Amino acid sequence: MPAPYLKRYNPDDDGIRFQELTWIGNRPGLEPVPDGIIGDKMMKGRAKSKVLEQLSVDDVLRDEFTLDEINDLNDYYAWNTFDVLAMRATEGASGMIPRQEYEILAFMQEFLRYPEFMQLITDKVGAEGVIEIGKSARSEIGTKINAVHDWCLSACCLMGRTGLLALESIKPGDYVDELNTILKFGQRILWGKRQDGWMLNSQDRYRCAIHEPDLVEKLAASVEEFGDDPQTGAAFKQFNASAELLSFFDHYDCRLGLGDTGPYIRPDGRVMIVRDLFVNESVYHWSDVCGDLPHCFTLVLMIDVEKMGLEEIRVNDISTSFTRPENYIPHITGGSVWVRQEWDTPMEEVYNIPISDLGDHLAQIQDATFKMYDKTSRMSRRQLITNGIYSYYIDMILPHLRKAGLYDEVCEQLDFWEIDKRISELYYEVPKRGFVQAVVPQKLFTGVGALPIPGSERTGRRSKYSFL
Amino acid sequence: MPEIAEGLNPFSTDAEAEGEVLFLSSPRDVIKLIKSGTLKEYILLVRGGTTTFLAPALQSGATGVITMSGAPESHLGILSREFQIPCVMSVHLTTGSGRYVAGETDEGHFQEIVDQLQGKRVRLDVTSPGVGRIYQVGAE
Repeated sequence: MPAPYLKRYNPDDDGIRFQELTWIGNRPGLEPVPDGIIGDKMMKGRAKSKVLEQLSVDDVLRDEFTLDEINDLNDYYAWNTFDVLAMRATEGASGMIPRQEYEILAFMQEFLRYPEFMQLITDKVGAEGVIEIGKSARSEIGTKINAVHDWCLSACCLMGRTGLLALESIKPGDYVDELNTILKFGQRILWGKRQDGWMLNSQDRYRCAIHEPDLVEKLAASVEEFGDDPQTGAAFKQFNASAELLSFFDHYDCRLGLGDTGPYIRPDGRVMIVRDLFVNESVYHWSDVCGDLPHCFTLVLMIDVEKMGLEEIRVNDISTSFTRPENYIPHITGGSVWVRQEWDTPMEEVYNIPISDLGDHLAQIQDATFKMYDKTSRMSRRQLITNGIYSYYIDMILPHLRKAGLYDEVCEQLDFWEIDKRISELYYEVPKRGFVQAVVPQKLFTGVGALPIPGSERTGRRSKYSFL
Repeated sequence: MPEIAEGLNPFSTDAEAEGEVLFLSSPRDVIKLIKSGTLKEYILLVRGGTTTFLAPALQSGATGVITMSGAPESHLGILSREFQIPCVMSVHLTTGSGRYVAGETDEGHFQEIVDQLQGKRVRLDVTSPGVGRIYQVGAE
């Protein structure tokens, strides 16, 4: 009997709720919006423009958004941020890494600095080239040009805008041109990856099955079936968990180290998820403890969704898979592991490791985790927040800069690794008056802080011209 | 066995987790526990729902985890599921003074939970979707 999750792909289906919270938004008087498929439908229904519909290449090549389009994207990203992060935001203080502080500082840094880098990439490769950068993800594994990085390009800049608005450092009508740059670059990358007219997974019932068919078949063919051999399954699942933990840790407790695509529905009814785990990002100095570990392990997970009784699966816009029922691990019935040694290792040199050979790699991963913990536990608060800012601000646009051949240039000529003076000063402000613990979550995850750009249409250029 | 606390359950499993509750307040506590070789005797009680704080304990096969904040979508919720380590998140006492609300809960709430759970032998029941229960073992 087919698993019930297939109903979710029926255009009339409203999906199921994954959380109880609702999103308020910044337009008074409108009904609160839930998460999930029904939430996406409601947000699309509210749009004043067509920017949330399936777009053509001509739509994406056009350089300038209208004001309605910018505000529709601002609203949708704000809801989408609630959808993927509201429940995660309850996790509170880390006890190890001041995550809340580094996140909002990084977001604000991105809002101020990313437009320059995005324009540089666009000037070098052209609008079509930006689309091609996004498209490159379809024929590769072990690439950070993926849902979470591509989403972050615009979503995190918008969260930075919300932070600066909350601090009253900017006004809603400031930086409109830069907003256009941020949203247009993100749109082109996301659209290029998907090639189906949508930008985001939430717009397509949380599907991110973006890999080309020949690559999907190659990965599926590599899967080892666990059958009646509990040891092989246990070894694979242990490796998955341990590598995933290190990928989070190497990225300062965030999922820029993790990248799921799927669900790929197989002929036998099982669902395949392709999971990149970036366990050794070479630009970070703290990755020295990762030694010879490769840039990325890619795991192929084959899930028996019929036995599981899968009701819904979301491969969400921050590259994480969630299911209902929640526990899919016991229903992984086959898997395989691939290695991409460096970020630019050619795809023909990406190789498969038999599950029986994972032991040494697992030991290396566990050793790196303990060493990273020891190293991190000795760092000062300043060091931890600075590294955290880097893990977001550098990493989110790193793969796009690398693909465009511009990473060295922005480092050498545009002070890529410097923290903007305005952000350096805000470092001392954000811990005060409950800003990161209470104000930021309230403004970001309810949507009330994502203020629209005022006015009815864009007239002329508009950046920021006064600091009062 | 009396139920003494309850919280959010990131994933359902029949796996049992039983041990003495040990509150870990700092990375130093975590390192000390790992080096002691007694990790599996304890159910770990931590403040936050992030994952790096408990990284070595997760890698070393912790028996069970209780957090005082966070949700199944939090990083620790995700990783506990990947490791299949029973976990009860944003726990509240059955006789206690309230529930965790991000940005609003004061320190007294957390201290009350530590005071009530630390040192007790407990069993985590994470068989129900969404809800995790903590029972005190050996109490009438």
